[in-house]
Amino acid sequence: MKISRLALPLLFAALAAPALAQKDVVVWHAYRAEEKAALEKIVAAYNQVNAARGVKVTTLAVPYDAFADKITAAVPRGKGPDIFIYAQDRLGGWIEAGKTVEPIDFFLDKATTARFIPTTMEAMTYRGTVYGLPLNYKVITLIYNKKLLPAPPKTSKELVAMAKKLTDAKSGRFGLAYSYSDFYYHAALQNAFGGRVFDPGPKPVLNAPENVKALELLMRWFTVDGILPAEPSTALITSLFNGGKAAMVFSGPWFLGEIAKEIDFGLAPLPTIDEAGGKPMRPWMTVEGVYIAAPSKNKDAAYDFVKHLTDTPQAKVMALEGRQTPANQAVYSDAAVSGDKILSAFRKQVEVAVPMPNLPEMTMVWSPATTAMNTIVKKSATPKAAMDQAQQAVLKDVAALRKN
Amino acid sequence: MSQRPDGSGKGPSHRLRFGAGLLVGTILVAAVGHRLLTTALGETARFGEDRRAVISLRALTDVVARAGSGEAVRTVVAGFAKWHPQVAATRVVLFDGISLEASTDPADTGENAPPRRLKREEKDLYDRGQRLRAAIETNRAEGGGRKDEVEKERLPDGSVSLAAPIERDGEVVGLVETRRVPPPPAPRPSLLTTLSYVVVPVLLFALLSLVIGERRVALGILAALLLAGTAWGYGAQSWAKLSRARTALEASVAEQVKTSAARGQELLGALPATAAPLAEAPPPGTAPEAAPAIPPAPLDPASWDSDAFRRPLGLSDGAGNVDEAKVASALEEAKRTVTRTTVLLGALALVLVGFIGLGGLAALLGTLKTHRVAYSYVLPAMFGMILLVFFPFVYGIILSFTDQTIYNSSAPLTEIWVGFQNYVSILTDFKVARTAADGGIIFNYQNFYWTLWITIAWTVTNVTYGVVVGLILALVLNTKGLAMKPAYRVLLILPWAMPNYITALIWQGMFHQQFGVVNQVVQMFGMDPVSWFEKPATSFFTAWATNGWLSFPFMMVISLGALQSIPSDLYEAARVDGATRWQQFRSITLPSLKPALVPAVILSVVWTFNMFNIIFLVTAGEPAGSTEILITQSYKFAFQKYQYGYAAAYSTVIFGILLIYGVFQNRMTKGTEAI
Repeated sequence: MKISRLALPLLFAALAAPALAQKDVVVWHAYRAEEKAALEKIVAAYNQVNAARGVKVTTLAVPYDAFADKITAAVPRGKGPDIFIYAQDRLGGWIEAGKTVEPIDFFLDKATTARFIPTTMEAMTYRGTVYGLPLNYKVITLIYNKKLLPAPPKTSKELVAMAKKLTDAKSGRFGLAYSYSDFYYHAALQNAFGGRVFDPGPKPVLNAPENVKALELLMRWFTVDGILPAEPSTALITSLFNGGKAAMVFSGPWFLGEIAKEIDFGLAPLPTIDEAGGKPMRPWMTVEGVYIAAPSKNKDAAYDFVKHLTDTPQAKVMALEGRQTPANQAVYSDAAVSGDKILSAFRKQVEVAVPMPNLPEMTMVWSPATTAMNTIVKKSATPKAAMDQAQQAVLKDVAALRKN
Repeated sequence: MSQRPDGSGKGPSHRLRFGAGLLVGTILVAAVGHRLLTTALGETARFGEDRRAVISLRALTDVVARAGSGEAVRTVVAGFAKWHPQVAATRVVLFDGISLEASTDPADTGENAPPRRLKREEKDLYDRGQRLRAAIETNRAEGGGRKDEVEKERLPDGSVSLAAPIERDGEVVGLVETRRVPPPPAPRPSLLTTLSYVVVPVLLFALLSLVIGERRVALGILAALLLAGTAWGYGAQSWAKLSRARTALEASVAEQVKTSAARGQELLGALPATAAPLAEAPPPGTAPEAAPAIPPAPLDPASWDSDAFRRPLGLSDGAGNVDEAKVASALEEAKRTVTRTTVLLGALALVLVGFIGLGGLAALLGTLKTHRVAYSYVLPAMFGMILLVFFPFVYGIILSFTDQTIYNSSAPLTEIWVGFQNYVSILTDFKVARTAADGGIIFNYQNFYWTLWITIAWTVTNVTYGVVVGLILALVLNTKGLAMKPAYRVLLILPWAMPNYITALIWQGMFHQQFGVVNQVVQMFGMDPVSWFEKPATSFFTAWATNGWLSFPFMMVISLGALQSIPSDLYEAARVDGATRWQQFRSITLPSLKPALVPAVILSVVWTFNMFNIIFLVTAGEPAGSTEILITQSYKFAFQKYQYGYAAAYSTVIFGILLIYGVFQNRMTKGTEAI
């Protein structure tokens, strides 16, 4: 009796031993619909291949609104996932807070780094250390109504000329409509002039002369040329474009889902700016990266999956079925991907795109910058005065953060 | 503590009380003093240990930097290990190739002998090096010292692991890590000496009090003097021990620098004189000529005794001579701390002596004993309140005296203490408005006083509206014989019943410039649509409208209840006397409502003052933060600007304002309560 009592737990332990060796890798993401389905398809295939090694990847969809805060709260306490997928804008804050994101320089080799569009790798790098592999990117580009505009403009002079022909403010028709008072959208124009938010340091330079020049051009488009509508909210732009009242829109992949079925739309790269010496408009790109959580107990297995997810066959699945624009370069040589007009249009645009800063100081910039944009477009202040004020506000906040 | 029963006829024994007080006081001074002294001696010893460790590590790192890579590095590391038996292991990692260049760790032999690529389990070592590199870059870019450039880690077994970056030509190429065995324990102060500081004063008091007798004042003075003497004596002997330890430490650290310099020189001399440490292949086509042997750059021993940001402490030069002046000033500061602590401790003990000696303790124990049943009832609730209310509250106040931000949230609070600086910068910033170039006034919306003005205006307008409308509706609902009264009551309570988060968002949508209902109605009347969130006044109006809609039901319910409790014969008597409706209202209704309305108004003022939801959701402070109230401004400081200490100070100021209001309002209403 005694011996068999002892034997039973030992037997269970023996049976459980191979199961104990199983590595569970948990992935958190904020995807829905097609993206979620594509990701789960990749995970299922991966699990099948790697079952023999005892590796099992599970995914968990977390609602987008709460995602970043959940990561900030749960991961440092060890209660988060092994891998999480998110944009790069909060990366700096997570790194400075500590215990959230794991640096992956140790695992990287030149072949893996060469896989990706170089600017997307930049987005994943903070102070010279790489913290994740880029999965996909989003940029704004020129979306136009083919019926109203047979050929898209290539330069800003062409843009203004074509837009003026299609603008009739009294009847609510505009040649160009985009959220120009949103600093994110305006960055495309600003970066064309060589403007930027931070100089290396990071030192805020919101009132740099290039930024002011870009704002002056924007105001010329608005007041003198009159090709832009007033108070451009996203709802207004969507309704104008779908009603055939806006010929051109600067927006990103999120806009495509809102376009009405009757509209025959085309995609083209943003025009070059003659006033900036023919330089192209450089929109900000939001890069979604796959990060390994710092307290994860299965970093090797996690990295293995991260590398697999960003590889070319998987990028093809995410592109064609998930409707993402992958950061993987090789996937665009595939016929199905290069033949897709949407994917190839964004690929062309990202060549001149700039990664949005991933610094923690960036969160302090949005509020003063939005205020400045609002005062400028409502003509309550000149571009220079408004940006000077925004610069003061950001400097004060950054200094308060750094004093130690 | 002895407690004389009432009516003993003898009265309390002052000698016993003061004696007990002195005993407790001296025990406090001795015990706390002993603890502090042990800690201080331990810290001093550790400080010395760490500095000596950093010095020898930096000496090694400098030599390794000049050695380059390969066999030279291994020779240097082996030579270093020979001289330092207290170093258990040294490892050198170079980023190029993620390689372990040299190691004296016993595990790195045979198959694992360097040079080899780091294994997966050794990723932490590589990451440490990258962290140091990023830290140097951050500090250089920000122009300050925020991140550690030399990492010190205390392992669980007491040994210390130190890592320093290898810099070559301004670039970090790797790191050197040493693991040192746990240092010998620091000398502890003698327990016997400490005990004597308790026993001697008490004995003295016992003897002298026999002479003095039962005179209260004299006994009190004697106890106070003896206690002060104990505190001063303990402080003085503590300081003597500490300053001796510190001076000896400085001498030994200076000695360490000298020895390390000599050994480093020796190691350097043993290196093969190469053309340059990172010798590149000569360009093709040129004949490789014998490059001139460049001696490695000289070492800089004076820079080795440094802090975590590799800034030299400057307390000794490289040749073993201590900088007396600097050490003296460092000692001065330490002396000030010791004096401050002694005075504080002495004062605290003195208060205790007074408390016990003058009978306070006896009274306290008496009360507890008499009312022990009541106290035992209160205890569980008190416990819950302390945990859930008082502790977070007190923590918030403590936080407001620091300048904690997201960057230093893991630093201990004593290091980031700034005293009243946050309060000063909030309350003394009077730059509310300035004149613009064209003569108009521009307000600074981030200023505390502007926000305070908005908050007061917000509170006054909302409470007024709520009370007036609530009262009117209550009077209407109170009319006799009103049909469908229950239906009206339900409809009028609905605004209060629905979650105000959702209704706030709906109201915000109704005020949308283009698609909002309000502008459609305005346009129906032929006027131009208003951009509600563009000007402070209209933006404030939207929030006021929303909160007005949400707040009148509460006032209506309170007023209705109070109205129904007014006896109707009062009104009959008034009618018989010929009073008009208005006179009836003023003389009967209003005074009867006061006892119910006044508490409701106080509550409403406090709630409205802190009404976060409406302002945050409806206006979000638009335009440009001009309609922020104090509580939303505090939120923005905490969670958008990550300045936790400043936001805590802001919240404490809000609490202070409401506290003053509450006390003031309470006093006022006591006079107006009677009918």
